Amino acid sequence: MSSKARLKGLLIGVAMQAANYALILIMALVVGAAVILVSGKNPIDAYIALFQGALGSPIKIADTLDRSSVLILTGLAAAVAFRTSVWNLGLEGQLYAGAFAAAWVGFSIHGLPSPIHITLCLLAGTLVGGLWGLPAILLKLRWDVNEVVSTLMLNYIAILFTAYLVAFPFRSPTAFMPGTETLDATARLPRLMIPGSVLNIGFLIALAFAFSVFWFLYRTKLGYELRMVGFNPRFAGYAGMPVRRSTFLAMIFSGALAGLGGAVVITGFFGRFISSFSVGYGWDGMVISLLAQNHPLGVIPAAIFYAALANGALAMQSATGVPQALVVTVKGTIMFFVTVQFFIAFLNRRLRQWMPSTS
Amino acid sequence: MPEAVAMLHITKTFPGVVANKDVNLVVQRGEIRAIVGENGAGKTTLMRILYGLERADSGTIRVKGQEVKIPNARVAIALGIGMVHQHFKLVPSYTLAQNIVLGVEPRRGPFVDHERALREVHELSARYGLTVNGEKKVSDASVGEQQRAEILKALYRGADILILDEPTSVLTDMETDELFIMLRRLAADGKTILFISHKLREVLEVSDNTTVMRGGRVVGTVKTAETSDRKLAEMMIGRETVEIPPREEPPQVGQPVLELEGVDVYDSRGIPAVREASLVIRSGEVVGIAGVEGNGQVELAEAITGLQPIACGRIRLEGREIQNRSTRQIRQAGVAHIPSDRNSTGVALEAQVWENLIAVDYHAPPYSGMLVLAINRILSYAKDVVTRFGVQTPGLKSPTRNLSGGNVQRLVVARELGSNRARVVVAAQPTRGIDIAGTEAIRRMLLEYTGRGAGVLLISADLDEVLALSDRVMVMYRGRLADAGRVDETIRQRVGRLMTGAEP
Repeated sequence: MSSKARLKGLLIGVAMQAANYALILIMALVVGAAVILVSGKNPIDAYIALFQGALGSPIKIADTLDRSSVLILTGLAAAVAFRTSVWNLGLEGQLYAGAFAAAWVGFSIHGLPSPIHITLCLLAGTLVGGLWGLPAILLKLRWDVNEVVSTLMLNYIAILFTAYLVAFPFRSPTAFMPGTETLDATARLPRLMIPGSVLNIGFLIALAFAFSVFWFLYRTKLGYELRMVGFNPRFAGYAGMPVRRSTFLAMIFSGALAGLGGAVVITGFFGRFISSFSVGYGWDGMVISLLAQNHPLGVIPAAIFYAALANGALAMQSATGVPQALVVTVKGTIMFFVTVQFFIAFLNRRLRQWMPSTS
Repeated sequence: MPEAVAMLHITKTFPGVVANKDVNLVVQRGEIRAIVGENGAGKTTLMRILYGLERADSGTIRVKGQEVKIPNARVAIALGIGMVHQHFKLVPSYTLAQNIVLGVEPRRGPFVDHERALREVHELSARYGLTVNGEKKVSDASVGEQQRAEILKALYRGADILILDEPTSVLTDMETDELFIMLRRLAADGKTILFISHKLREVLEVSDNTTVMRGGRVVGTVKTAETSDRKLAEMMIGRETVEIPPREEPPQVGQPVLELEGVDVYDSRGIPAVREASLVIRSGEVVGIAGVEGNGQVELAEAITGLQPIACGRIRLEGREIQNRSTRQIRQAGVAHIPSDRNSTGVALEAQVWENLIAVDYHAPPYSGMLVLAINRILSYAKDVVTRFGVQTPGLKSPTRNLSGGNVQRLVVARELGSNRARVVVAAQPTRGIDIAGTEAIRRMLLEYTGRGAGVLLISADLDEVLALSDRVMVMYRGRLADAGRVDETIRQRVGRLMTGAEP
């Protein structure tokens, strides 16, 4: 195939995907509009406010990008696990564990040069996030315990244990909500030069990781093994690949990325660990990955889209009185259409499998 | 006796394969009809057509004298046809009674009348001696009990024509005997039974008449009482003299490359699947393993290639012991493996063509360094083997799913043989479901390989294939290997006897 023809094929593919997602978005917005109408408000006004709040000015755009940092990282976390067919539903817990670890390094170590302090914070978050995946994957490999259940349970442990930590041993007397001391200034991620916006280098870190994860999955031996195990573990074992090791690594990497997400949002945005700081970043990460068809680069636009919805929802609520929960309806509808699509693709595949049943 | 089922001039083709060709089958009411034949003879397809799971390309079907069209299983059930599949279709978390009445539950108002369901199930089970405990969960029931529940499920829906697809393949000998008593009772009650099998002794024991299929056609129908397992085996595998295609040159047989010594393998349930298997393959030689599927061939292949542990014995590759090493170690030592199920084991269908082609060799130079895959080198290697082995693909980066079955198999062969490294090739059903051109190509590739001094272990349920390729033949029956010797004029008879469990 000539490179020109290949480029053409690629462009057509991208255009089809874009049209596909646009259609889904329109259908979801129509459903949302119906709900707004029923509640007696004007959907057009609400959507304008939503758009304005998300992307209406350079500062708004920068804030949306900032919010997308953690979502990109949790989205990547989900993509690594799902690509390997490891069903890590513990991203939220891994995010909390990583966030607390990063905060602890941030407020209890003093006097370090900023780059080192930041690196230590992020490393701590990554490490502890990965460790939080460890029990689930060990249970799976040793006793075939379903990771869906164990990771879900580990979420509660992480969320409630960190809540305990900030309510008692680490409670800051100055904090309004249960939370830790503020991080040292040396541990805070530097802002990017956009006056009035919270956008910081966390976003660039997230982008770098998206490309790194892409490179890892598609260019390295380990990544190749992970993907083959995810496609068909029987085949991978038959070909001589280390199936158990791949499963193990997928969970640990996934947890580490979620933990890094927690670290980034604490060192970049909040500046201290606050209990229930996450508004479902871990859960959104799974949905974002699904929206991106578990592709690390697809995670970037999907995460920015989700961040825009979240930021826009706040503006919509204050401007028009349409509750931000409405955005949850829109998100849910999008997910519905996306999963239905996958379901149709799945059915297609199964049908083709059944067709040539000889003998 | 009136006619229960007549299938006339049934033809059914799948892409590249004729599954049924002008098949005629007429069965009387109250008859137990056995349908026998090797794997791929078209038995199951014919029954799936009758049960509405496949549609025939041409031909007519009469049920109880009426000409009918059976587009789906619901119509078949309404016509009084029931089918018990080889792999049961029961809900594991439900009780047996719930499964039997599933979808046609007796109701009291809007609710399922569980007591009546249980009572009806027990009445039905008592009537035919199909003992089941309706309150037991499927996951707690024995295989025999699950099968009885499947039969009751069909009867509960009013079936008087019962199709049983290889019903004994999962049963113990005692359960098989019990099943036959029940089948006779059902037949005496006027039910018609179509019984697919390839175990001739069972067929002789239970059926009234036997229809033999081979290569999609009916070879003949005989009264079971007037035949013998020898005659049936001859019909199954054909009477014609062996046509051994002239091998270009006589094999240059050399040193042993693969030796098995008293190998035992247990299957996933802990039941011995391979018992005291011993064999020797020399360099340049093809050793064929014939036998009906499910006699331990898969386990044997998987034990050699490190996918299943062996319980005792030794496996040597060119003198070095390789038993219970990891699959990667065994492959690196020089064992290639063409698995019997290409779609579930041989490839990842979602992965791209090149990703499947490199799956065995990707981890070492020149295809990768410490960490990173040498994608360009892999792609040029993939391009080379795709051409050499004639894999028809839209591109190296296409999903493997887009390839036809024959080309997926060529891809598997290309991967396993392409690197020219293997000393032993374990080839299980290497040409199953593949058209003639593809079959010939794959057979030629295997024979070429022996020319380079490798040994081939060919495992196939297709006796013609075994005879066409092998220098020596062994037969696997109930996990044991019996030597049928060199391929000569009388090999078919010897193999036929060993296949049905007779002493050599």
